[in-house]
Amino acid sequence: MKRMSDATATAAGANMNWVAVAAIVLVGALAMFSIYKGFEAFGNENMEEAFMYLVIGASGFVAIGYSFFRARSVSKESLEMKKTDVITTLECPQCNLKRVRSFQRGDYLFKSDEPCTRCEGNMLITRIHTRKEEKKS
Amino acid sequence: MIHLIGQLLQQDNEIGMLLQTLFSVAFLVYLFYAQRIQSMTMLRQIEYTLRKIKRLKDESRVEAINSIKEIGKPERDPTPQVDRILEHFPIWPVNMDPAGIVGKTEKIILTYERVHESEVKSITPEAEEHDRRNLETLVGISQGLNQYYKVIRHFYLLGKKTMNIYVIMQIHMILPFIVKEIEALSAAVQAFKDGVPIGDSVGPIVAAKLMNGNEIRDVAKEMVAADVSYEGRTLIVTKAKGPGSSVGKPGDAISNILDEYKDKVKIIITVDAAGKLEGEAVGEVAEGVGAAIGGIGVEKWKIEEAANKYNIPLHAVAIKQGQEHVIAPLVEPLFEATEKALASVKALVLEYSEEGDIVVVAGIGNTVGVAQ
Repeated sequence: MKRMSDATATAAGANMNWVAVAAIVLVGALAMFSIYKGFEAFGNENMEEAFMYLVIGASGFVAIGYSFFRARSVSKESLEMKKTDVITTLECPQCNLKRVRSFQRGDYLFKSDEPCTRCEGNMLITRIHTRKEEKKS
Repeated sequence: MIHLIGQLLQQDNEIGMLLQTLFSVAFLVYLFYAQRIQSMTMLRQIEYTLRKIKRLKDESRVEAINSIKEIGKPERDPTPQVDRILEHFPIWPVNMDPAGIVGKTEKIILTYERVHESEVKSITPEAEEHDRRNLETLVGISQGLNQYYKVIRHFYLLGKKTMNIYVIMQIHMILPFIVKEIEALSAAVQAFKDGVPIGDSVGPIVAAKLMNGNEIRDVAKEMVAADVSYEGRTLIVTKAKGPGSSVGKPGDAISNILDEYKDKVKIIITVDAAGKLEGEAVGEVAEGVGAAIGGIGVEKWKIEEAANKYNIPLHAVAIKQGQEHVIAPLVEPLFEATEKALASVKALVLEYSEEGDIVVVAGIGNTVGVAQ
Protein backbone atom coordinates (compact mmCIF):
# COMPACT_ATOMS: atom_id res chain seq x y z
CA MET A 1 0.00 0.00 0.00
CA LYS A 2 2.82 2.30 1.02
CA ARG A 3 4.78 1.50 -2.11
CA MET A 4 1.76 2.17 -4.30
CA SER A 5 1.25 5.65 -2.89
CA ASP A 6 4.93 6.47 -3.27
CA ALA A 7 4.80 5.36 -6.87
CA THR A 8 1.76 7.55 -7.52
CA ALA A 9 3.56 10.63 -6.22
CA THR A 10 6.62 9.97 -8.36
CA ALA A 11 4.59 9.22 -11.45
CA ALA A 12 2.72 12.50 -11.02
CA GLY A 13 6.01 14.33 -10.80
CA ALA A 14 7.30 12.68 -13.95
CA ASN A 15 4.13 13.68 -15.80
CA MET A 16 4.46 17.32 -14.72
CA ASN A 17 8.08 17.45 -15.85
CA TRP A 18 7.19 16.07 -19.27
CA VAL A 19 4.50 18.76 -19.72
CA ALA A 20 6.98 21.47 -18.69
CA VAL A 21 9.65 20.21 -21.10
CA ALA A 22 7.11 20.00 -23.95
CA ALA A 23 5.93 23.55 -23.27
CA ILE A 24 9.51 24.85 -23.22
CA VAL A 25 10.33 23.09 -26.51
CA LEU A 26 7.18 24.50 -28.15
CA VAL A 27 7.83 28.06 -26.95
CA GLY A 28 11.48 27.74 -27.98
CA ALA A 29 10.54 26.59 -31.52
CA LEU A 30 8.04 29.42 -31.92
CA ALA A 31 10.57 31.96 -30.62
CA MET A 32 13.20 30.69 -33.05
CA PHE A 33 10.71 30.90 -35.91
CA SER A 34 9.74 34.40 -34.87
CA ILE A 35 13.35 35.55 -34.78
CA TYR A 36 13.95 34.00 -38.19
CA LYS A 37 10.94 35.90 -39.55
CA GLY A 38 12.28 39.05 -37.86
CA PHE A 39 15.61 38.80 -39.67
CA GLU A 40 13.82 38.03 -42.92
CA ALA A 41 11.70 41.16 -42.54
CA PHE A 42 14.84 43.10 -41.61
CA GLY A 43 16.46 41.93 -44.86
CA ASN A 44 13.39 43.16 -46.77
CA GLU A 45 13.82 46.52 -44.95
CA ASN A 46 10.40 46.15 -43.34
CA MET A 47 11.54 47.57 -40.00
CA GLU A 48 8.20 47.60 -38.16
CA GLU A 49 7.48 43.94 -38.89
CA ALA A 50 11.09 43.00 -38.07
CA PHE A 51 10.81 44.74 -34.71
CA MET A 52 7.56 42.96 -33.85
CA TYR A 53 8.92 39.51 -34.72
CA LEU A 54 12.13 40.11 -32.82
CA VAL A 55 10.24 41.29 -29.72
CA ILE A 56 8.03 38.18 -29.82
CA GLY A 57 11.07 35.91 -30.26
CA ALA A 58 13.04 37.58 -27.48
CA SER A 59 10.05 37.37 -25.13
CA GLY A 60 9.87 33.63 -25.79
CA PHE A 61 13.51 33.17 -24.83
CA VAL A 62 13.10 35.36 -21.74
CA ALA A 63 10.17 33.17 -20.67
CA ILE A 64 12.28 30.01 -21.16
CA GLY A 65 15.18 31.55 -19.21
CA TYR A 66 12.82 32.46 -16.38
CA SER A 67 11.46 28.88 -16.22
CA PHE A 68 15.02 27.51 -15.99
CA PHE A 69 15.86 30.05 -13.30
CA ARG A 70 12.84 29.00 -11.25
CA ALA A 71 13.51 25.31 -11.71
CA ARG A 72 17.13 25.80 -10.63
CA SER A 73 16.18 27.72 -7.48
CA VAL A 74 13.67 25.04 -6.50
CA SER A 75 16.15 22.19 -6.92
CA LYS A 76 18.94 24.17 -5.23
CA GLU A 77 17.00 24.84 -2.05
CA SER A 78 15.82 21.28 -1.74
CA LEU A 79 16.84 18.14 -0.01
CA GLU A 80 19.86 18.75 2.16
CA MET A 81 19.93 17.74 5.77
CA LYS A 82 21.58 20.56 7.70
CA LYS A 83 24.96 19.90 9.23
CA THR A 84 26.30 22.73 11.33
CA ASP A 85 29.78 23.23 12.67
CA VAL A 86 29.76 22.97 16.47
CA ILE A 87 32.61 24.11 18.73
CA THR A 88 33.53 23.18 22.29
CA THR A 89 35.29 25.54 24.69
CA LEU A 90 37.34 24.02 27.50
CA GLU A 91 38.71 25.93 30.48
CA CYS A 92 41.11 24.84 33.16
CA PRO A 93 39.79 25.90 36.58
CA GLN A 94 43.34 25.88 37.98
CA CYS A 95 45.44 27.82 35.44
CA ASN A 96 42.58 29.43 33.44
CA LEU A 97 43.89 28.05 30.17
CA LYS A 98 41.18 28.30 27.53
CA ARG A 99 41.00 26.10 24.47
CA VAL A 100 38.49 25.97 21.64
CA ARG A 101 38.16 22.93 19.42
CA SER A 102 35.60 21.24 17.20
CA PHE A 103 32.85 19.37 19.02
CA GLN A 104 33.50 15.66 19.47
CA ARG A 105 30.87 13.05 20.18
CA GLY A 106 30.80 12.52 23.94
CA ASP A 107 31.33 16.21 24.76
CA TYR A 108 28.81 17.79 27.12
CA LEU A 109 28.63 20.92 29.21
CA PHE A 110 30.43 20.66 32.58
CA LYS A 111 32.27 17.50 31.56
CA SER A 112 35.69 17.40 33.18
CA ASP A 113 37.93 14.60 32.01
CA GLU A 114 40.35 16.14 29.53
CA PRO A 115 43.82 16.83 30.99
CA CYS A 116 45.09 20.41 30.89
CA THR A 117 48.07 20.87 28.58
CA ARG A 118 49.62 23.53 30.83
CA CYS A 119 49.10 22.25 34.39
CA GLU A 120 48.13 19.00 36.12
CA GLY A 121 44.43 19.82 36.32
CA ASN A 122 41.47 18.66 34.27
CA MET A 123 39.79 20.95 31.76
CA LEU A 124 36.07 21.67 32.10
CA ILE A 125 33.78 22.07 29.09
CA THR A 126 32.20 25.48 29.61
CA ARG A 127 30.64 26.25 26.24
CA ILE A 128 29.17 24.25 23.37
CA HIS A 129 27.49 26.05 20.50
CA THR A 130 27.55 26.39 16.72
CA ARG A 131 30.37 28.31 15.08
CA LYS A 132 29.41 31.82 14.14
CA GLU A 133 28.77 31.99 10.39
CA GLU A 134 31.03 34.39 8.51
CA LYS A 135 29.03 37.04 6.69
CA LYS A 136 29.34 36.67 2.95
CA SER A 137 30.62 39.89 1.38
CA MET B 1 6.83 51.58 -28.43
CA ILE B 2 3.15 51.62 -27.36
CA HIS B 3 2.29 52.42 -30.95
CA LEU B 4 4.21 49.34 -32.11
CA ILE B 5 2.61 47.08 -29.48
CA GLY B 6 -0.77 48.48 -30.50
CA GLN B 7 0.00 47.49 -34.06
CA LEU B 8 0.68 43.95 -32.90
CA LEU B 9 -2.95 43.60 -31.84
CA GLN B 10 -4.45 45.03 -35.00
CA GLN B 11 -6.25 42.52 -37.15
CA ASP B 12 -5.22 44.03 -40.48
CA ASN B 13 -1.90 42.22 -40.62
CA GLU B 14 -0.92 38.58 -40.24
CA ILE B 15 0.76 38.90 -36.88
CA GLY B 16 -2.16 40.87 -35.47
CA MET B 17 -4.60 38.15 -36.47
CA LEU B 18 -2.38 35.47 -35.03
CA LEU B 19 -2.06 37.30 -31.73
CA GLN B 20 -5.77 38.07 -31.56
CA THR B 21 -6.51 34.36 -32.04
CA LEU B 22 -3.96 33.40 -29.41
CA PHE B 23 -5.41 35.90 -26.91
CA SER B 24 -8.95 34.68 -27.58
CA VAL B 25 -7.92 31.04 -27.11
CA ALA B 26 -6.00 31.92 -23.94
CA PHE B 27 -9.02 33.83 -22.63
CA LEU B 28 -11.37 30.93 -23.28
CA VAL B 29 -8.96 28.41 -21.76
CA TYR B 30 -8.54 30.57 -18.67
CA LEU B 31 -12.30 31.17 -18.43
CA PHE B 32 -13.02 27.46 -18.07
CA TYR B 33 -9.80 26.08 -16.64
CA ALA B 34 -8.47 28.86 -14.36
CA GLN B 35 -9.23 26.93 -11.19
CA ARG B 36 -7.77 23.75 -12.62
CA ILE B 37 -4.58 25.55 -13.65
CA GLN B 38 -4.32 27.07 -10.17
CA SER B 39 -4.89 23.64 -8.60
CA MET B 40 -2.18 22.13 -10.78
CA THR B 41 0.27 24.88 -9.85
CA MET B 42 -0.43 24.37 -6.15
CA LEU B 43 -0.18 20.58 -6.50
CA ARG B 44 3.19 21.02 -8.17
CA GLN B 45 4.47 23.12 -5.27
CA ILE B 46 3.12 20.61 -2.75
CA GLU B 47 4.80 17.84 -4.70
CA TYR B 48 8.19 19.56 -4.53
CA THR B 49 7.83 19.93 -0.78
CA LEU B 50 6.66 16.35 -0.46
CA ARG B 51 9.78 15.12 -2.24
CA LYS B 52 11.91 17.22 0.07
CA ILE B 53 10.17 15.80 3.13
CA LYS B 54 10.48 12.26 1.80
CA ARG B 55 14.22 12.69 1.37
CA LEU B 56 14.61 14.18 4.85
CA LYS B 57 12.48 11.47 6.43
CA ASP B 58 14.47 8.73 4.67
CA GLU B 59 17.78 10.32 5.65
CA SER B 60 16.75 10.71 9.29
CA ARG B 61 15.62 7.07 9.36
CA VAL B 62 18.96 5.94 7.96
CA GLU B 63 20.82 8.15 10.46
CA ALA B 64 18.80 6.65 13.31
CA ILE B 65 19.44 3.08 12.16
CA ASN B 66 23.17 3.72 11.64
CA SER B 67 23.50 5.39 15.05
CA ILE B 68 21.68 2.48 16.70
CA LYS B 69 24.02 0.03 14.98
CA GLU B 70 27.11 2.08 15.85
CA ILE B 71 26.32 2.93 19.48
CA GLY B 72 23.86 0.25 20.57
CA LYS B 73 25.57 -2.65 18.80
CA PRO B 74 22.45 -4.83 18.45
CA GLU B 75 22.83 -8.52 17.69
CA ARG B 76 20.41 -8.38 14.77
CA ASP B 77 19.63 -5.77 12.13
CA PRO B 78 17.43 -3.18 13.94
CA THR B 79 15.77 -1.91 10.72
CA PRO B 80 12.47 -3.85 11.00
CA GLN B 81 12.05 -2.80 14.64
CA VAL B 82 12.88 0.85 13.86
CA ASP B 83 10.31 0.80 11.06
CA ARG B 84 7.77 -0.59 13.51
CA ILE B 85 8.55 2.13 16.08
CA LEU B 86 8.14 4.79 13.38
CA GLU B 87 4.49 3.79 13.07
CA HIS B 88 3.74 3.95 16.82
CA PHE B 89 1.02 6.37 17.86
CA PRO B 90 -0.73 7.53 21.03
CA ILE B 91 -4.52 7.80 21.30
CA TRP B 92 -5.42 10.80 23.43
CA PRO B 93 -8.28 10.52 25.93
CA VAL B 94 -11.75 11.71 25.06
CA ASN B 95 -12.36 15.34 26.10
CA MET B 96 -16.16 15.45 26.06
CA ASP B 97 -16.04 15.10 29.83
CA PRO B 98 -12.86 17.02 30.72
CA ALA B 99 -12.87 16.21 34.45
CA GLY B 100 -9.76 14.15 35.22
CA ILE B 101 -8.35 14.45 31.70
CA VAL B 102 -4.88 15.49 32.94
CA GLY B 103 -4.48 12.22 34.83
CA LYS B 104 -5.70 10.22 31.84
CA THR B 105 -3.36 12.12 29.49
CA GLU B 106 -0.44 11.54 31.83
CA LYS B 107 -1.23 7.84 31.91
CA ILE B 108 -1.12 7.69 28.10
CA ILE B 109 2.15 9.68 28.03
CA LEU B 110 3.79 7.44 30.61
CA THR B 111 2.72 4.28 28.78
CA TYR B 112 3.88 5.71 25.45
CA GLU B 113 7.25 6.68 26.94
CA ARG B 114 7.65 3.28 28.59
CA VAL B 115 6.92 1.44 25.34
CA HIS B 116 9.26 3.73 23.37
CA GLU B 117 12.05 3.34 25.93
CA SER B 118 11.69 -0.41 26.10
CA GLU B 119 11.61 -0.78 22.30
CA VAL B 120 14.76 1.31 21.86
CA LYS B 121 16.45 -0.43 24.78
CA SER B 122 15.91 -3.82 23.16
CA ILE B 123 17.88 -2.75 20.07
CA THR B 124 20.63 -0.85 21.92
CA PRO B 125 22.00 -3.38 24.42
CA GLU B 126 25.50 -1.87 24.51
CA ALA B 127 24.51 1.82 24.71
CA GLU B 128 25.15 3.86 27.85
CA GLU B 129 22.18 5.46 29.55
CA HIS B 130 22.67 8.99 28.13
CA ASP B 131 23.42 7.66 24.63
CA ARG B 132 20.27 5.57 24.76
CA ARG B 133 18.22 8.66 25.69
CA ASN B 134 19.67 10.47 22.67
CA LEU B 135 18.85 7.53 20.43
CA GLU B 136 15.28 7.47 21.75
CA THR B 137 14.87 11.10 20.75
CA LEU B 138 16.56 10.48 17.40
CA VAL B 139 14.02 7.76 16.64
CA GLY B 140 11.30 10.16 17.85
CA ILE B 141 12.46 12.74 15.30
CA SER B 142 12.27 10.18 12.50
CA GLN B 143 8.79 9.35 13.76
CA GLY B 144 7.82 13.04 13.53
CA LEU B 145 9.17 13.42 9.99
CA ASN B 146 7.40 10.22 8.99
CA GLN B 147 4.10 11.59 10.32
CA TYR B 148 4.53 14.91 8.50
CA TYR B 149 5.31 13.08 5.28
CA LYS B 150 2.28 10.85 5.56
CA VAL B 151 -0.15 13.67 6.36
CA ILE B 152 1.07 15.90 3.52
CA ARG B 153 1.07 12.97 1.12
CA HIS B 154 -2.50 12.22 2.18
CA PHE B 155 -3.69 15.73 1.31
CA TYR B 156 -1.63 15.78 -1.88
CA LEU B 157 -3.07 12.51 -3.17
CA LEU B 158 -6.58 13.44 -2.03
CA GLY B 159 -6.31 16.78 -3.82
CA LYS B 160 -4.93 15.12 -6.93
CA LYS B 161 -7.68 12.51 -6.90
CA THR B 162 -10.55 14.98 -6.45
CA MET B 163 -8.89 18.06 -8.06
CA ASN B 164 -10.85 19.94 -5.42
CA ILE B 165 -9.17 23.31 -5.01
CA TYR B 166 -10.34 23.65 -1.40
CA VAL B 167 -8.69 20.38 -0.38
CA ILE B 168 -5.48 21.43 -2.14
CA MET B 169 -5.57 24.96 -0.71
CA GLN B 170 -5.83 23.66 2.85
CA ILE B 171 -2.39 22.10 2.71
CA HIS B 172 -0.92 24.68 0.31
CA MET B 173 -1.70 27.58 2.66
CA ILE B 174 0.05 26.07 5.66
CA LEU B 175 2.94 24.61 3.66
CA PRO B 176 5.51 27.35 4.53
CA PHE B 177 4.90 26.81 8.25
CA ILE B 178 5.09 23.04 7.91
CA VAL B 179 8.36 23.38 5.98
CA LYS B 180 9.78 25.46 8.83
CA GLU B 181 8.83 22.78 11.35
CA ILE B 182 10.28 20.05 9.17
CA GLU B 183 13.53 21.94 8.68
CA ALA B 184 13.76 22.33 12.46
CA LEU B 185 13.20 18.60 12.91
CA SER B 186 15.86 17.73 10.35
CA ALA B 187 18.36 20.03 12.09
CA ALA B 188 17.70 18.11 15.29
CA VAL B 189 19.06 14.88 13.81
CA GLN B 190 22.66 16.09 14.12
CA ALA B 191 22.07 17.37 17.66
CA PHE B 192 20.64 14.13 19.01
CA LYS B 193 22.97 11.90 17.05
CA ASP B 194 26.01 13.56 18.59
CA GLY B 195 24.51 14.80 21.88
CA VAL B 196 24.88 18.52 21.15
CA PRO B 197 22.90 20.97 23.35
CA ILE B 198 19.92 22.46 21.51
CA GLY B 199 18.00 25.74 21.71
CA ASP B 200 15.57 24.19 24.18
CA SER B 201 18.50 23.36 26.48
CA VAL B 202 18.86 26.98 27.65
CA GLY B 203 16.71 26.35 30.76
CA PRO B 204 18.78 23.36 31.92
CA ILE B 205 22.00 25.30 31.13
CA VAL B 206 20.92 28.14 33.44
CA ALA B 207 20.06 25.59 36.15
CA ALA B 208 23.35 23.72 35.61
CA LYS B 209 25.33 26.95 35.93
CA LEU B 210 23.71 27.47 39.32
CA MET B 211 24.00 23.93 40.61
CA ASN B 212 27.40 22.91 39.19
CA GLY B 213 29.79 21.96 41.99
CA ASN B 214 27.02 21.32 44.54
CA GLU B 215 25.75 17.98 45.78
CA ILE B 216 23.19 16.54 43.39
CA ARG B 217 20.20 14.40 44.42
CA ASP B 218 17.30 12.79 42.56
CA VAL B 219 13.92 14.41 43.17
CA ALA B 220 11.66 12.74 40.59
CA LYS B 221 11.91 10.51 37.52
CA GLU B 222 14.87 11.79 35.46
CA MET B 223 15.02 14.96 37.60
CA VAL B 224 17.89 16.13 39.80
CA ALA B 225 18.18 18.96 42.32
CA ALA B 226 20.85 20.73 44.33
CA ASP B 227 20.73 23.09 47.29
CA VAL B 228 22.64 26.23 46.39
CA SER B 229 23.43 29.07 48.81
CA TYR B 230 23.00 32.54 47.38
CA GLU B 231 23.05 35.84 49.31
CA GLY B 232 21.73 34.19 52.49
CA ARG B 233 18.94 32.34 50.63
CA THR B 234 18.78 28.64 49.78
CA LEU B 235 18.04 28.01 46.14
CA ILE B 236 16.72 24.55 45.36
CA VAL B 237 17.70 24.24 41.75
CA THR B 238 16.19 21.47 39.65
CA LYS B 239 16.60 20.29 36.07
CA ALA B 240 16.29 17.13 34.00
CA LYS B 241 19.10 14.66 34.53
CA GLY B 242 21.75 15.11 31.85
CA PRO B 243 23.67 14.81 29.68
CA GLY B 244 21.36 12.45 27.78
CA SER B 245 18.28 13.78 26.01
CA SER B 246 15.49 14.23 28.55
CA VAL B 247 12.97 16.82 29.63
CA GLY B 248 12.31 14.92 32.85
CA LYS B 249 9.21 15.49 34.94
CA PRO B 250 9.57 19.05 36.26
CA GLY B 251 5.99 19.00 37.52
CA ASP B 252 6.73 16.03 39.76
CA ALA B 253 10.06 17.53 40.84
CA ILE B 254 8.55 20.86 41.93
CA SER B 255 5.60 19.10 43.52
CA ASN B 256 7.94 16.84 45.54
CA ILE B 257 10.14 19.77 46.61
CA LEU B 258 7.10 21.77 47.76
CA ASP B 259 5.73 18.75 49.64
CA GLU B 260 9.07 18.59 51.45
CA TYR B 261 9.57 22.29 52.21
CA LYS B 262 5.90 23.37 52.13
CA ASP B 263 5.30 27.09 52.64
CA LYS B 264 8.94 27.75 53.56
CA VAL B 265 9.40 28.23 49.83
CA LYS B 266 8.90 31.92 49.01
CA ILE B 267 8.88 31.86 45.22
CA ILE B 268 9.22 29.46 42.32
CA ILE B 269 11.16 30.60 39.25
CA THR B 270 10.89 28.64 36.03
CA VAL B 271 13.39 29.30 33.23
CA ASP B 272 12.51 28.11 29.75
CA ALA B 273 12.94 28.74 26.05
CA ALA B 274 10.08 30.70 24.52
CA GLY B 275 9.03 31.29 20.94
CA LYS B 276 10.02 34.71 19.67
CA LEU B 277 7.80 36.88 17.54
CA GLU B 278 9.09 38.03 14.15
CA GLY B 279 11.21 41.12 14.76
CA GLU B 280 12.36 40.05 18.22
CA ALA B 281 16.04 39.22 18.60
CA VAL B 282 17.25 35.66 19.20
CA GLY B 283 18.38 35.40 22.82
CA GLU B 284 16.22 38.20 24.16
CA VAL B 285 15.43 37.55 27.83
CA ALA B 286 12.04 38.49 29.29
CA GLU B 287 10.56 38.10 32.74
CA GLY B 288 6.96 37.26 33.53
CA VAL B 289 4.71 35.47 35.95
CA GLY B 290 3.25 31.97 35.74
CA ALA B 291 4.79 28.63 34.90
CA ALA B 292 7.15 28.85 31.92
CA ILE B 293 6.84 25.38 30.50
CA GLY B 294 5.60 24.01 27.19
CA GLY B 295 4.51 20.55 26.22
CA ILE B 296 1.11 19.00 26.30
CA GLY B 297 0.19 20.63 29.63
CA VAL B 298 0.45 17.86 32.22
CA GLU B 299 3.67 19.14 33.83
CA LYS B 300 2.45 22.75 33.73
CA TRP B 301 -0.77 21.70 35.42
CA LYS B 302 1.20 19.92 38.16
CA ILE B 303 3.39 22.98 38.80
CA GLU B 304 0.33 25.26 38.98
CA GLU B 305 -1.49 22.82 41.29
CA ALA B 306 1.49 22.55 43.66
CA ALA B 307 2.09 26.31 43.69
CA ASN B 308 -1.58 26.91 44.33
CA LYS B 309 -1.69 24.31 47.13
CA TYR B 310 1.06 26.11 49.08
CA ASN B 311 0.16 29.60 47.84
CA ILE B 312 3.56 30.28 46.33
CA PRO B 313 3.99 32.88 43.58
CA LEU B 314 5.27 31.68 40.21
CA HIS B 315 7.83 33.77 38.33
CA ALA B 316 9.13 33.04 34.86
CA VAL B 317 12.22 33.85 32.83
CA ALA B 318 11.95 33.25 29.10
CA ILE B 319 14.75 33.08 26.55
CA LYS B 320 13.36 33.98 23.15
CA GLN B 321 14.20 31.95 20.08
CA GLY B 322 12.82 31.11 16.67
CA GLN B 323 11.12 27.86 15.82
CA GLU B 324 14.21 26.89 13.82
CA HIS B 325 16.40 27.13 16.92
CA VAL B 326 14.40 25.09 19.41
CA ILE B 327 15.68 21.63 18.51
CA ALA B 328 18.67 22.63 16.37
CA PRO B 329 22.23 22.73 17.79
CA LEU B 330 22.56 25.66 20.19
CA VAL B 331 23.58 28.93 18.53
CA GLU B 332 26.00 31.35 20.21
CA PRO B 333 23.48 34.17 20.94
CA LEU B 334 21.38 31.66 22.88
CA PHE B 335 24.36 30.45 24.85
CA GLU B 336 25.19 34.08 25.69
CA ALA B 337 21.54 34.59 26.68
CA THR B 338 21.86 31.97 29.42
CA GLU B 339 24.14 34.43 31.29
CA LYS B 340 21.51 37.17 30.97
CA ALA B 341 18.82 34.75 32.15
CA LEU B 342 20.99 33.75 35.11
CA ALA B 343 21.33 37.43 36.04
CA SER B 344 17.54 37.78 35.79
CA VAL B 345 17.02 34.78 38.08
CA LYS B 346 19.42 36.22 40.65
CA ALA B 347 17.72 39.63 40.48
CA LEU B 348 14.30 38.00 41.00
CA VAL B 349 15.64 36.05 43.99
CA LEU B 350 16.98 39.23 45.60
CA GLU B 351 13.83 41.22 44.87
CA TYR B 352 11.17 38.74 45.94
CA SER B 353 12.80 36.85 48.81
CA GLU B 354 14.63 37.66 51.99
CA GLU B 355 17.63 36.15 53.72
CA GLY B 356 16.84 32.71 55.14
CA ASP B 357 14.11 32.06 52.54
CA ILE B 358 13.97 29.09 50.22
CA VAL B 359 13.52 29.67 46.48
CA VAL B 360 12.87 26.96 43.89
CA VAL B 361 14.54 27.48 40.51
CA ALA B 362 13.61 25.07 37.72
CA GLY B 363 15.48 24.90 34.41
CA ILE B 364 12.86 23.63 31.99
CA GLY B 365 13.72 22.01 28.67
CA ASN B 366 15.69 19.23 27.07
CA THR B 367 19.00 18.64 28.80
CA VAL B 368 20.79 16.95 25.89
CA GLY B 369 24.52 17.69 26.13
CA VAL B 370 24.16 19.40 29.52
CA ALA B 371 25.34 17.72 32.71
CA GLN B 372 24.73 19.13 36.18
